[in-house]
Amino acid sequence: MKLGKRSTLLMGVATAVLLTTAGCSGGLLGGGGNSTADSGPIKLAMVIPISGSSAPTGAYMRNGAQMAVDEINKDGGVLGGRQLELDVEDEACDAQQSVAGANKAVSNGAVVSVGGYCSGATLPEIPIFQKADIPMIIPAANSQDLVKQNANNVFMINGTGKQQSTAALTFIKKQGFATVALVDDNTSYSKDINTETRSQIEADGTVKAVLSTSVTAGESDYSAVVRDIMGANPSLVYWTGYYQEGGLIINQLKNAGFAGKIMVADGSVDPSLAQIAGAGAEGVYATMTQTPETLKGAEDWIANYKKAFKSDPGPYSTQSYDAVRLAAKAIDDAKSTDGKAIIKALEAIDGFQMFSGPLKFTPERTLSSGGFVILAIKGGKFVLEDDLS
Amino acid sequence: MSQLIWDGLFVGSFYALIALGYSMVYGIIKLLNFAHGDIYMLGAFVGFAALTSLGGIPASLSIGALLVVMLVSMLLTGTAGVLIERLAYRPLRGAPRLAVLITAVGVSFSLEYGVSAIAGPNPRAFPIRLEGNVFSLLGARISLPQIILMLIAAVLMILLNFYVQKTSTGRAMRSIALDRNASLLMGINVNSVITRTFFIGSALAGAAGVMAGAYYGKIDFLMGFIIGLKAFTAAVIGGIGNIKGAMLGGLVLGFVEAFGAEWFGGQWRDVFAFAVLILFLTLRPTGILGERVTERV
Repeated sequence: MKLGKRSTLLMGVATAVLLTTAGCSGGLLGGGGNSTADSGPIKLAMVIPISGSSAPTGAYMRNGAQMAVDEINKDGGVLGGRQLELDVEDEACDAQQSVAGANKAVSNGAVVSVGGYCSGATLPEIPIFQKADIPMIIPAANSQDLVKQNANNVFMINGTGKQQSTAALTFIKKQGFATVALVDDNTSYSKDINTETRSQIEADGTVKAVLSTSVTAGESDYSAVVRDIMGANPSLVYWTGYYQEGGLIINQLKNAGFAGKIMVADGSVDPSLAQIAGAGAEGVYATMTQTPETLKGAEDWIANYKKAFKSDPGPYSTQSYDAVRLAAKAIDDAKSTDGKAIIKALEAIDGFQMFSGPLKFTPERTLSSGGFVILAIKGGKFVLEDDLS
Repeated sequence: MSQLIWDGLFVGSFYALIALGYSMVYGIIKLLNFAHGDIYMLGAFVGFAALTSLGGIPASLSIGALLVVMLVSMLLTGTAGVLIERLAYRPLRGAPRLAVLITAVGVSFSLEYGVSAIAGPNPRAFPIRLEGNVFSLLGARISLPQIILMLIAAVLMILLNFYVQKTSTGRAMRSIALDRNASLLMGINVNSVITRTFFIGSALAGAAGVMAGAYYGKIDFLMGFIIGLKAFTAAVIGGIGNIKGAMLGGLVLGFVEAFGAEWFGGQWRDVFAFAVLILFLTLRPTGILGERVTERV
């Protein structure tokens, strides 16, 4: 989310040096780490935010993945009896930390990576895992920038930014919003949805994008963007950033007397959004992939999750759960822990059942349909508004 | 236009409150206290903890509760400022400027991640939120909470000005800023005056933290970082080391941001604000009200 705020300011040079050396060691260690022994547990790397402002989501993801690991191990593991083991590393939504985490996971001998939440932090992990022939099943990060890398080891099981923008536009047209203001927070993920939605709106022609602007994440006062929006007076504001700033902007817009509707992207779908936004959050729309609460038939799964972790599942719990199951399936299909064989097995997967539906990767190694739906806040909670079908 | 001026004034009064601490500390011991923004964050969290422990507060009492909690928070953040000075800065009093600067960065990190470890990394919604009717005055949308918060800020700044100009401690502060060694020879207890300076500066930042929490409704452990930089900018614009300059600099920065966002678009607001900082550092490093101080040997 935050591409190194303080570090870039204070230690730019030092980090550049660190990054270079870290990149090198990734390649060196990768060669050794991949030749895992034929017995013992198989390690799955999970580089996710454990600290920093995205830490709550990181916990949801870790729990979801851990749940799948426990279930698979209970059922006899993979490759005829080998146990899975989750190797969780902290990325803190920061490019420098994610590189360090990925390198650590590679040297620990991870076979598949099942992490990735903040796109800006996931991006620099790609070359590290690629050099070590480790396939990355990315459960949450979904910037188009990740697809553009065209790396043969990257498999995204969350809808992409492009698919999210398409879902947003479909809903905008369905509801008949004539003018739209797009606001992002200048991070890779957020800007991606903003520009993608704008270009789709322009190509489509029925709706008008009256404003497309950015704010600085981490501040409290967003009066500048509120003035811009009030001036442009759109019928819908689409906020593509994360929930902290999203909550503040919704609150400040409502206080300024904004009468139009507000929609947020999946990074803002968090229970805290409504708390921060206060009363103004009611009726806010969101583009989001299915969460456990909105999925039909997930009640048993939710009950198991609650039993194991004494808390409710949250955003990306299901995707992380599916990522681990998919990794186990691919290892079994490949009949080995060799990265290249697992990548082949992932490419060949057809009809694997996940929460988002049967899986078959596109040639870009993304989902063929994003599975985005529209949620709305009712009584302080996100509920399904429109499944866009 | 009037909306721009009003928004600039409102944000500027927050910047001014925090810039005061920066400026006072710099004026007296020539230290850029980069942990100052995090004292603001600490203030917000102390306020959060105090309000949570009080339990539910009826909306009619929220202003009163806020004032009480603000005083508590000011006392505690002031004490925290004193402790930081005693533990981290005083042992380095004679050390090179760079060593102290880096210590300040270290203190800043310690505060941020200390709070994150204790209170958790999740953002918190503040227990009370000042909400009031918005009314229109000369074309600007103005709300009652904004007026109340600006009044509190103004009162605090007037009190501070009185303290520095009229009391003996204030006189001692000004004399230490002029020449520490001579003040020592004149029988001023330099250490105790520095302690008081830290207390007052930190208390003001703590007050700003509680006010921001109650107005914006969200606090998190990194909230002090950007506003700390902005307050530093404000202090430089006004003339670092100069108390009236810090107040003026805060308001000027508020205006610069509001007008910059209007002229160049919202996403250019910070670029414009920090470009103004660079311009000031190049053309007038002493700021609007600062005076050139000859280096004493």
